[in-house]
Amino acid sequence: MPEFTKPFDSKWQAAVLLLPTFVVLIAFLYYPGLETFRLSLQQTILLGAQKSFVGLENYRTLATSAAYHKSFAISVAFAAVVVVGTLAVSLFVSYLLFQVDVGASTYLIAAIWPYALPTAVAASVLLFLLHPSLGIITHYLELLTGLSLDWFTNGPQAFVIVAVVAIWKQLGYNIIFMVAALNNIPGTLTESAQLDGVGHLKMLYKVYVPLMSPTLVFLVIIDTIYAFFATFPLVDLMTSGGPDGATNLLIFKLYRDAFEFSNLGLASAESVVLFAVVAILMYVQLRISESRAHYGG
Amino acid sequence: MATRTNPDSALAGLLPEGVDTERVLIHGGLIFSILLMGLPLILALIMSTQNTSEVYQVTNVGVGSQGLSNYETALTQYNFGQYIINSIVMSAIIVVGKVALSLFAALALVYYKLPYERAIFMFILLTLLLPVPVRIVPLFDLMSRLGWGNTIMAITGPYIASATAVFLFRQHFMAIPASLVENAHLDGVGPLTFLWEVLIPMSKGMIAGVSVITFIYSWNQYLWPLIIMTDQSKQVVQVGLRFIQGAAQSGLTQWGLIMAGAIIALLPPLVVLIVMHRPLLETLAIQQK
Amino acid sequence: MSNISIDGLTKKFDDVTAVDNIDLDIESEEFLVLVGPSGCGKSTTLRMIAGLESITTGDLRIGDRRVNDLPPKERGIAMVFQNYALYPHMTGAENMKFGMNSVSDYTDDEIDDRVEEAAEVLDILELLDRRPGELSGGERQRVAIGRALVREPEVFLLDEPLSNLDAKLRVQMRAELLQLHQELDATTLYVTHDQTEAMTLGDRVAVLNDGRIEQVDPPQVLYDYPETRFVAEFIGSPAMNIVPVDLEYDGDSVSAVHEAFELSLPNGDRFTDQPPAAAFGVRPEDVSLAVNAPADAQTFEAEVSVTEPLGESLLIHCYVGDDELHVKAEARSAISPGDTLELAVDEDRLHVFDDTGSAVYHSSVREEAASDTVYTTPEP
Repeated sequence: MPEFTKPFDSKWQAAVLLLPTFVVLIAFLYYPGLETFRLSLQQTILLGAQKSFVGLENYRTLATSAAYHKSFAISVAFAAVVVVGTLAVSLFVSYLLFQVDVGASTYLIAAIWPYALPTAVAASVLLFLLHPSLGIITHYLELLTGLSLDWFTNGPQAFVIVAVVAIWKQLGYNIIFMVAALNNIPGTLTESAQLDGVGHLKMLYKVYVPLMSPTLVFLVIIDTIYAFFATFPLVDLMTSGGPDGATNLLIFKLYRDAFEFSNLGLASAESVVLFAVVAILMYVQLRISESRAHYGG
Repeated sequence: MATRTNPDSALAGLLPEGVDTERVLIHGGLIFSILLMGLPLILALIMSTQNTSEVYQVTNVGVGSQGLSNYETALTQYNFGQYIINSIVMSAIIVVGKVALSLFAALALVYYKLPYERAIFMFILLTLLLPVPVRIVPLFDLMSRLGWGNTIMAITGPYIASATAVFLFRQHFMAIPASLVENAHLDGVGPLTFLWEVLIPMSKGMIAGVSVITFIYSWNQYLWPLIIMTDQSKQVVQVGLRFIQGAAQSGLTQWGLIMAGAIIALLPPLVVLIVMHRPLLETLAIQQK
Repeated sequence: MSNISIDGLTKKFDDVTAVDNIDLDIESEEFLVLVGPSGCGKSTTLRMIAGLESITTGDLRIGDRRVNDLPPKERGIAMVFQNYALYPHMTGAENMKFGMNSVSDYTDDEIDDRVEEAAEVLDILELLDRRPGELSGGERQRVAIGRALVREPEVFLLDEPLSNLDAKLRVQMRAELLQLHQELDATTLYVTHDQTEAMTLGDRVAVLNDGRIEQVDPPQVLYDYPETRFVAEFIGSPAMNIVPVDLEYDGDSVSAVHEAFELSLPNGDRFTDQPPAAAFGVRPEDVSLAVNAPADAQTFEAEVSVTEPLGESLLIHCYVGDDELHVKAEARSAISPGDTLELAVDEDRLHVFDDTGSAVYHSSVREEAASDTVYTTPEP
């Protein structure tokens, strides 16, 4: 806390200043957030015109639905691939940016621009460039690898393609934080290792990665939340969840259950599951950053 | 960083004497990575100038015959002009509203003697647990009841208050030297004067950073506008990309046109990022804490 | 200009008492310095007077008003901070003006005139259009002082204003502050941890320790007649030597007996109490080599451990028995570690403190006139 006496003490002024934020947060965040829980205990029919209390029925449906199980498994696997892929590529680029001697700031902008890349743009561009028959990248990839890319019908391929697009869009954000973390490492900590002639790879994994681990933990959490919540446009524009549900992420299933099939109660239960995901991730992040604050690690 | 030459490197023999192998590898690695990351955009840019038959020659990477006419078609016939305006209005309202509301909230949290200050701050922070998908069904319901469907309020209101922005401004205010606050306290300077003449001028970088983050974030919104804006003419540009996907001419998808639309939808945040990268990077550096 | 009257002032932060029942009267036009080690409560006292901290108990009057519950701007004070407290985005003039509309009824033109005037007094006219980032530390502090001047307060409060300056500049600014005070005759309360600053600036100096006032007196009185062992050791550099002694009383004649020496203390009738054992104090400059002392002086031996040439004098660290003693000898004296010295003390400058730390004896009489020194500074 700052070491000064607070200059203002009018309670009503403070209330007026906080009011707009509170109105928005309560009306558009807390109220609908709580409503989600209530709706998840109801069944809606006739496009939401009639509602009836069904207790945990919606959750029971989710728990026994093979399609939901598959969607859940796919989302977890998708998040894992996106997190690992994003971190690996970003770490490689960030390390080069950290080591480069001239032109660092130009390289930096050239590397972080995907932060400004809208997900829907990423999806549109790669949908075309990776198009099974028209995509130029597909064409050369097939020439190089001898594989036949047909991700409009091949589920695992579609999964990988969507993950690649998700990683592409998320690189900028990760590189920003990793470069900052690397630049914050005191030079003296690494100089002695360098004097001993430790090689680049060993330096990276033995010295830099441990020292930037708080940032890496933060990015794992952020990237996971991203993979679960912000990838809707990719699925919507590229695969519509297909082929055969191979890219039917939870967020996309939620959208269809709610707004295509008007199953609002079930969709709300799915929202609650997503809430649990975000709550657990935030809790993990909080605990880790707290223990860091306490033990100075 | 100290640089060391690795005499075993295969590259060493290929290079003229005096050129540092390691530097070449680092620059080469960077250029390669950046080109790879930028390649889809470059290809999209080229193909946005091609007509349908040029696009269907898969390996044709020459500048097409269309020039900028795909852009013109997207902007006029496919409504991207309107979408862009809608997106700009939405993002501008969210940026200005969020910055203003968050500055007010942070002013109250940091400079007012508040009962339950910690609880109030936690109440704001806890909304991080409620991203749009968690509350999407009731939010849709609420907007219908308010009669806000297809209005600018529907796509700006829910985004206008933010835990992150309040958190960032609060951090920044708390880092302002105590004596500068007390100086104003001694003179009995009022809260709005203090905000306007001291806090805002001293937070320019942070305000710029929060604005950039917010702009890029709002510009990227897709799911919520898709659901709540059923009137196509009021839709934002990201969802516009969904509509233009159906663009076809004699049964062939007009990919050149779609690429033009994608480039249009990308340009504003990309320009903002490049111009404002400095405050953005400084602000993000604080956000992680 | 107003006086400040403090009666039973106390500040508690939760369980911690930062300022403990302080009584202090600052006369109109007086320059009073509050000095003490960090954490002694001096800044908290100043901040209570300014209105930046609430007062737990006690009365605070500025002029004839009780100001305990008045907001800062109604107390007629202006404050100068250690870190200058200048807004980085405002020019010197803007910094001086900022807040004037809230704190005073002056029109903008009048404010401009006053800024001009203050800048002339401080010789900072050319700094008015520059921002703090373009100013040196000394220049910033001048602008900060100008900021206070413009407000024409009843009372100036200065919180360690020179502590961020380098040593040379500090000496220069000290002289300038003195001169400014002589010109303005403003009631000034000055907080510092630096006893040299306290001694050179104050009409009177209040020494604080652990939230309590140890002594309030003019600088020389403080130095010559410390009322407590804390004051004796805090004021003066190098600090006063204090060694434990047993005291033997024989009517009015008193001897201080130490394992390595025995001194008969003159004017034994001045003991206000007769503790059997006490702390014997003598300043380094009041100990001399016996060769330089009068022939009939009482002497004792000490062994030199370290010598420190200070330039104008030689500081000798030596041992009498197990106790260390500092002696200021003439510069260039031929003394080296290991030497055994014959020492004498100035019998007019001896002090004895009892085990509560209170002075029970000074060998010379405190001239009462000294404590009644008129607080206004001499005419320029």
